[in-house]
Amino acid sequence: MDSPTISTENLTRRFGELVAVEDVNLRVAPGQFFGFLGPNGAGKSTTIKMLTGLLAPTAGRIQILGLDLVTNMVEVKRQIGVVPEGMALFGRLTGSEYLNFVGRMYGLDRDTAARRTSELLEFMQLVDQPKTMVTDYSHGMQKKLALAAAVIHGPKVLFLDEPFEGVDAIAAGTLKAMLQRMIARGATIFLTSHVLEIVERLCSHVGIIHRGRLVAQGSLEELRAGVEAQAAVLPDAATSDGSPREKLTLEEIFLRIVGGSRSASQELSWLG
Amino acid sequence: MNQAGPNQVGMKLAGQNFAPQGRRQLAAVAELRWRIFVNSLHSFRGRLELASRIFVGLAFVAGGIGGAVGLGGAAWFLMLDGNGEWLGTVLWPVFLYWQLFPLMATAFTRNVESASLLRFPLSYRSYFLVRLAYGSLDPATTVANLWLLGITIGIGAAQPRLLPWAAVVLLTFAIVNLLLARTAFSWLERWLAQRRTREIMGVLFFLCILSLQLIGPLIASYGHKSSPETRLLGQDLSKVQKPLPPGLASAAIASAAQGQRWTGLLSFLLLGFYGIAFLWLLNFRLRAEYRGENLSESATRKASPGELPALHPSWNVPGLPGPVAAVFQKELRYLSRSGPMLFTLVVPLFMLLVFRSSGQNQGLFAHAPELTFPLGAAYSLLLLTNLSYNNFGADGRGVQFFFASPAPFRQIMTGKNLAHAAIFTLEVVLVWLGTSLLYRPPSIRVTLATVAGILFALPIDLAAGNLFSIYSPTKIEAGVFGRQRASLTTVLASFGIRGALFGGAALMLWLSRVYGSSWIVVPVLLLPAVLAGAAYSIALNHVDKIALNHRDNFISQLSR
Repeated sequence: MDSPTISTENLTRRFGELVAVEDVNLRVAPGQFFGFLGPNGAGKSTTIKMLTGLLAPTAGRIQILGLDLVTNMVEVKRQIGVVPEGMALFGRLTGSEYLNFVGRMYGLDRDTAARRTSELLEFMQLVDQPKTMVTDYSHGMQKKLALAAAVIHGPKVLFLDEPFEGVDAIAAGTLKAMLQRMIARGATIFLTSHVLEIVERLCSHVGIIHRGRLVAQGSLEELRAGVEAQAAVLPDAATSDGSPREKLTLEEIFLRIVGGSRSASQELSWLG
Repeated sequence: MNQAGPNQVGMKLAGQNFAPQGRRQLAAVAELRWRIFVNSLHSFRGRLELASRIFVGLAFVAGGIGGAVGLGGAAWFLMLDGNGEWLGTVLWPVFLYWQLFPLMATAFTRNVESASLLRFPLSYRSYFLVRLAYGSLDPATTVANLWLLGITIGIGAAQPRLLPWAAVVLLTFAIVNLLLARTAFSWLERWLAQRRTREIMGVLFFLCILSLQLIGPLIASYGHKSSPETRLLGQDLSKVQKPLPPGLASAAIASAAQGQRWTGLLSFLLLGFYGIAFLWLLNFRLRAEYRGENLSESATRKASPGELPALHPSWNVPGLPGPVAAVFQKELRYLSRSGPMLFTLVVPLFMLLVFRSSGQNQGLFAHAPELTFPLGAAYSLLLLTNLSYNNFGADGRGVQFFFASPAPFRQIMTGKNLAHAAIFTLEVVLVWLGTSLLYRPPSIRVTLATVAGILFALPIDLAAGNLFSIYSPTKIEAGVFGRQRASLTTVLASFGIRGALFGGAALMLWLSRVYGSSWIVVPVLLLPAVLAGAAYSIALNHVDKIALNHRDNFISQLSR
């Protein structure tokens, strides 16, 4: 394996008594489309915040592109793009003003920032809203704009926190097209998502975090093989007619790893 | 399809007849506020905020009680002397304070976010009451009510039989004031929310400023008149104020005191009519909000199909690094789109008018042209509190971007400080022009001394503001009145710092007078200005480390 683009060593974050992330050792190779999964409150957003410098780790080490995040924070930030939780947009600017602003903040000259803004607005189909403030954008448009802002400086690594949450099929298609284009050009993408079908379709590698601990990491095939090997020793391993099992979906893999079954003992009888 | 109207209550939900009841909802809102308050005490910042609130509250209560004693005493004296028709002189200050203070000191004003309430099945009546309840908790309302209580007691002490009637009239007067203040707030918010209406407001304001020039000659002409002529002016003014709420309240009580019950009742009914009119206007506005009106800054124009986005490079500010110029531009754009903030920034010019209208050619006011400019500049600096002491308040979640971007916080702060300094400079220039128009141009000596004072005070103020912006950030909604508050702790600290700065400058001015050389104040202020510049630079160099160390709290406070 090449030296990883993203690596962490015993990454830990505590909030008082609560251990949100504990001893996470991530390795994401160059050019990988890495999906970071976990149930609600598992520590996905906390991890991505630490990886992007938005949150200080309590313990552990982070390396991005071979650079230590703490000692080379500015250099790392120059080479990454981020769509954080909540998107971090400036609501009282227009989309064009916002992208221009972001471009300048990443050190692009005025003309380059303006040209890329124009191209990105066109690609993201945000052209017909030239005077609209970001705050008046629909949720899907805001997601597209946030992604456009994250890539305007041509980052080598892209961190996306729930980029497909609340996005319709058309906007999701645009976002996917953009991400696949970046992967084709050698960028590394690290995303968290609840939409497992999208992760399964887009990502080559997956990490699963549960209760703050990284419980699985690898390519989809590796995870599938691991789960199936575990299942093989169980009594219901074979189907009743002896036919081979269908390939496990990512959702099935995920549920088996994090234990998704829920007791139905408490029924909400009043719901009718 | 049938749609449930706002007043339609009771629906079948999950097998239960769920009837949203106003009282329960109001109790729930009150309980929510209480829980938020109790939970805020878990953090040090919350406890500090409570201490600040108690301190400010005590100051307001002291002002309220002091005013109540003073105005109550005046009312007692007037009624005892049989001069009830002059009660207007004690009611007008209450009226003006109640209506103008919330606009001039938005740092102490709080407004409710309607969107957070409207997602609940809240009846319109409950919504209206909650909006009104927020107004009644305003410090200005509390202080003004204390004053009215003092006036009521004063009248009652002078003429006990008049007490019930005076209480009814003044309670109505209080309700009229409350409704007018809420109406003014909500309509101003409406007009300032959109560019077009804001521009109309701007023109009206400009005309108002031009008309101020008439006041100077008017006052000058009456200043030389004899006593009978001045009395005549007083009578004219008395006639003008009579049909207005303070005049009507005054007439209602005075007429009753003179045994003219029907005249008093008529005045009272007219006062009530004002209340109904304000209620109607407020209802009109709040109902639009309740129905889901979304006031948007954006123009409705859309590009025609196939139109490619035009290239709009950002500003080219020579000598500034890209990120600094970008932040500078962004800050000015934000401000230009925040009506209430812009409104706050024109307040110093209003203050000039107030100062001018008090202008007599004697005592303190004999020095008015020399005092107005430095005082106006100092007041302009005070009004920058919500901007410079809560630098990131309007950015909200956007602050995460600053941490994600490679631009150092030093540059981000510089961009913001430059924008705020530019706004302040513009304010000072306008104050200078206003002083020149209303009086005469301030002397070169005063102008230079004020500029030197600014060079001393501004860097210290900006440096302190940068630190408070990181240590105690508060998310603000720049487009809505009453939600541009920095934290109260920050506001108090900023007042303390400004007090020390202005005190220092005043001391130097005084010393220069003592030593008989008023020119010496310029170099005397320029020396600390150099030190202030150095202090600003040192603070700026530490800002990256401080921001990084406080990023958890910083981001979480602004991303709420």
